[in-house]
Amino acid sequence: MNDEIALQKPLNHKRKMATEDIIFTIFNTIFLVLFAVVTLYPVLNTLAYSFNEGNDAVRGGIHLLPRRWSLDNYKEILFERPGIRQGFIVTLGRTVLGTFTALAANALLSFILSRKKFLFKSSLSLFWVITMYASGGLIPVLILFRYLHLTSSFWVYIIPGMVSAFNLMVLRTYMEGIPDSLEESAQLEGAGYMRIFWSIITPLCKPVYATIALFVAVYHWNAWFDAMLYNRFDPQFTTLQYELRKLLDSVSASTGQTSGTAVTEAAANTITPITVRAAATIATMAPIIALYPFLQRYFVTGLTIGGVKE
Amino acid sequence: MENTVSQQEKLKQLTEKELNKPKFTAKEFKRQWVLIAISAVYVIYGIIFYYLPLIGWIMAFQNFKYYDGIAGSKFVGLDKFKFLFSDKTFLLVIRNTFAMGALNLFFSTVMAIVFAILLNEVRNRHFKKTIQTISYLPHFLSWIIVVAIVHDALTSTGIINELLLKFGIVDKAYPFLGDPNMFWGIVTFSHLWKETGWNAIIYLAAITAIDPCLYESAAIDGAGRFQKMWYITLPSLRPTIIILLIMNMGNVLNAGFELQYLLGNGLVQSVSKTIDIYVLDWALNARNTDYSLGTAAGIFKTAVSLALIFLTNTIAKKTGDERLF
Amino acid sequence: MKAKKLFSLALAGVMAASVVACSVPGKGSGDGIVDMTFFAAMAGKEKDDGNEIKELIAQKTGVRVKESWLTGQDAGEAIGSIIASGKLPDFIDGGDGCIQLYENHLLVAWDDYLEKYPNLKEMYTPEEWDKFRQSDGKIYWANVFGNHYKQDTTTGHNGEAFWIQVRVLEWANYPKIETLDQYFDLLEKYAAANPTMPDGTPVIPYTCLCEDWKYYCLENAPMFLDGYPNDGCVIVDVSAGADNPKVVDYNTTSTAKMYFQKLNEEYAKGAIDPDFATQTYDEYIAKLSTGRVLGLCDQYWDFAYNIMGPFAQTQTTTDGTSYRLDEMGCDYVPLGLVAEAGMEQQWHSYGDELNQASGIAVTTSCSNPDLAFSFLSAMLDQEIHDLRFWGIKDVDYLVDENGLYYRNDQMRENWKSDSYKAKHTCEYSYFPQWNGLSKDGKNCMQPAEQPSEFLAGLAAPLKKCFEAYGAGNYNDFIGSKYCDQYAWYPLWSWSNGVSNETPGGIAWQKMGEVKHMWLPKVVMSTDFETDWAAYQQAYNDVNPQAFLDEAQAEVDARLATAKANGTA
Repeated sequence: MNDEIALQKPLNHKRKMATEDIIFTIFNTIFLVLFAVVTLYPVLNTLAYSFNEGNDAVRGGIHLLPRRWSLDNYKEILFERPGIRQGFIVTLGRTVLGTFTALAANALLSFILSRKKFLFKSSLSLFWVITMYASGGLIPVLILFRYLHLTSSFWVYIIPGMVSAFNLMVLRTYMEGIPDSLEESAQLEGAGYMRIFWSIITPLCKPVYATIALFVAVYHWNAWFDAMLYNRFDPQFTTLQYELRKLLDSVSASTGQTSGTAVTEAAANTITPITVRAAATIATMAPIIALYPFLQRYFVTGLTIGGVKE
Repeated sequence: MENTVSQQEKLKQLTEKELNKPKFTAKEFKRQWVLIAISAVYVIYGIIFYYLPLIGWIMAFQNFKYYDGIAGSKFVGLDKFKFLFSDKTFLLVIRNTFAMGALNLFFSTVMAIVFAILLNEVRNRHFKKTIQTISYLPHFLSWIIVVAIVHDALTSTGIINELLLKFGIVDKAYPFLGDPNMFWGIVTFSHLWKETGWNAIIYLAAITAIDPCLYESAAIDGAGRFQKMWYITLPSLRPTIIILLIMNMGNVLNAGFELQYLLGNGLVQSVSKTIDIYVLDWALNARNTDYSLGTAAGIFKTAVSLALIFLTNTIAKKTGDERLF
Repeated sequence: MKAKKLFSLALAGVMAASVVACSVPGKGSGDGIVDMTFFAAMAGKEKDDGNEIKELIAQKTGVRVKESWLTGQDAGEAIGSIIASGKLPDFIDGGDGCIQLYENHLLVAWDDYLEKYPNLKEMYTPEEWDKFRQSDGKIYWANVFGNHYKQDTTTGHNGEAFWIQVRVLEWANYPKIETLDQYFDLLEKYAAANPTMPDGTPVIPYTCLCEDWKYYCLENAPMFLDGYPNDGCVIVDVSAGADNPKVVDYNTTSTAKMYFQKLNEEYAKGAIDPDFATQTYDEYIAKLSTGRVLGLCDQYWDFAYNIMGPFAQTQTTTDGTSYRLDEMGCDYVPLGLVAEAGMEQQWHSYGDELNQASGIAVTTSCSNPDLAFSFLSAMLDQEIHDLRFWGIKDVDYLVDENGLYYRNDQMRENWKSDSYKAKHTCEYSYFPQWNGLSKDGKNCMQPAEQPSEFLAGLAAPLKKCFEAYGAGNYNDFIGSKYCDQYAWYPLWSWSNGVSNETPGGIAWQKMGEVKHMWLPKVVMSTDFETDWAAYQQAYNDVNPQAFLDEAQAEVDARLATAKANGTA
């Protein structure tokens, strides 16, 4: 795309532009590579720990490569825990279902909120914005969910978080950038709102849909707190991350019992090797990273929606 | 030239806004009945899941005991708020939360935008994709892992001190982690490190919506790359930037628990403790959990958040920018 | 095409979701065994489904318990949310949150069942049981730890001490170390003579953990140095007679100043780890695991189990020599240091400490409380107790011709392996249990206390060190004075739970904040006297007297209760 532009440039500018371009490209490349190296380090470090033998890693000092190779960490988290399998199924279910429902719910509402002539545009936007900052706290929510029979159920993962003000606003902002002329001409042809939403707005919103889908999918994939809070004693609704958390949290920040001396060996837990923690991190990162390229093309490659612009 | 064009455009937008102001007429109601009906369903949903739990706010004015419930617990008026605001530590904690939230908001926004724009300038698609994928990976690491690495780098034998010693910048290892002056900087850096690539995603998506014709005509006018970034990319991102800024403004006081908790220690507690950590310290007593104090702190945070977004939203309205509501 | 793919993906998700939504938990599982649940407001590791010993116990008792543990939440928060969610497990150990469960009427009283199940009643004397009584006069939970059957067979010193590596003692030809001066003097001299580890890294003479509540490693030594036991929050002075105990603040004593001044000197000399004030627990353990740290002050359980693995590993230096840290004498032994040579000390408390503030309870959600209590009782049957802590005969332990249990190396290894423990062993570690002598009168209830097992687990230099000092175990080694426990002991079972509702509780929280900041500062200070004075000033500003008064009131109250029960 940019190459085409270069061809169209007036000749007398070309030389100046080229040097400026080259210098810029060099600096930009250097900057981005440095940035990538710096951000990649913690990931590589985690990867190195995940393939290191546990007792050895306790000593620390591992950077980019494992010191004593071992696959035990992955074996421990992936194959030796029965909860992991169930957790994976639940997480997969909630990620797929939760992403679709949340995307649909948010897209539809933000379509409404982005209509310039919508009568309650401002008041309803405020209604939703407030939900972002006002929270009754853990206990009232728990009691409410208990009355709605959402505790001890799978639906607690899907229904309560379906509409989120943040996603709504991101979607709305994007939709507002789409020229009105399209909507107007469709209306002249007799299309209703639903038709406009589905046939005109949605196809143009792919990049932002992809973004929101990514946000929601990552949220669902990483969720564990809700599983613990609402389904603590219902192992059939456990999630992958909750299972991993349970595995990892064997040192607690504060327990009254241990400030005395009344802890027997059976109860005094050794810290979970940092290696298992690393393996768990890598193992849960992997699938969501695999998903990424499919979404990435929507917002890296760019969509040509020229022609629809005013 | 550019200026006059954008001014004209702004003027046009303003008049358009006037024209588009909704009119509450029966005809308009009838025309929009689908929209109204659907949004009513959403409102019911919102009331149930977001507004109903706010009944819990009553706890802040009580000495809430779970067994007595909201109906039966003793009312103590504003005692819990008095407790908070008469404690010097709490005022300190507000300052810390606010400072770290603001630093984080400012630098995260700038870095994410700069990164998105620079990445957009890359022509090689594979390079672009690779860099972008790498940059968002740290988002998936937990704070525990990131803090462990930051800690490791900053101890007396860590890489940073090693380098400083080697180049003779210091003659004795510098205690970064125990120095209250360093703490906010370390927190901000950790945030940027972990989240810049992730935060840039929204901006990258918004950049895709920019009409390529704009770049073409700018090129014909002889605009260089910086000019194009400055006069086209950045202004096109403006609505997204403003909206995110307003929304994040309201989160300034929510900006901190885990990172500060993991990174803090006794020596830096006067700058590291945030509101959430304060609540943990004072209210989460296993034998006698003080829900009321936590709720009071929560109400305070909500009030400040709403005040901030109303303020910024009004400013945005005045400058003719995109607004949240 | 793409839409089709998306659709099928969505369909898959919906199906997965409905599978999840419809699957019913396998309650009862058809084998006549009742499944029950247990939650501990403590961190712990879950057992695998179908855990072998758990199944054996289930067959014998008719009950299978799924244990779950604290995850990502504070104990109080967890108990609060369990109460609010309305779904309780059958058994619960709420830690310090037990009282909240009681106040919400969610627990079943033990009183009737104690009469029915002598195993349970036997756990404590009537006087001890009285300590568990709540405001309504009933018993709702029982602490299960540190309770010895017949005799005290403790081999370890689980509590706090100044620890020192045995190689340091060996190098100095096993001297008698009584004071801080002697202790640090020895650490310095050893470090000067042996500055590096085999891999070339320098040794660290002394380190100290200051993270969060584990800063007790730094702050409470003055209490012990003055010869008092671990009451946790204050010294209880009985010099005016056991009838007239007086609460004393150990933060302001001359011993406290002496101790921190000593640390300050040592820090200036470079004998103390420069990162001590900012290190995290993980970093602390990492440091200890390299064997570089010669001395430290901590409670045994807080560090020892985590460094055993790395110490037993063979390492190779770059020039090809291999070594093991435990064989090098990097293991630690406890020293009962005192403020002045010749004083007696109580770093080790003999007898059983009773934390009456927490323990295992049966909840009102349990549909068959009688079965639950019969299960708790069965936990104490010797056969089941052996299964829990020794394992299966011939698989996990062997029996010699005298009827004594022992393990071979492989068995010992197994019992250290996390995966073996997850699929095979089932300690039910927060359920009623005994320490001490087994009902057969020969073996110990728990392997760690079996003398032969204890010695078999020791590396050669450690054994040699015990012999040199004429000690049979850690317990003998630290050489604390034998003392009966007072009625108020341990007072930390009270101070762990003070709340912000009283002036004393507020003072306690603030005292912690002041100490967290000032104590490391004082140690690192270049002008000790000035900073010490500033610290004392800041400390007095938060009104510690309010806390001390409440502590005194609690001591008096506990003493009065004991007197009323005729046990003081």
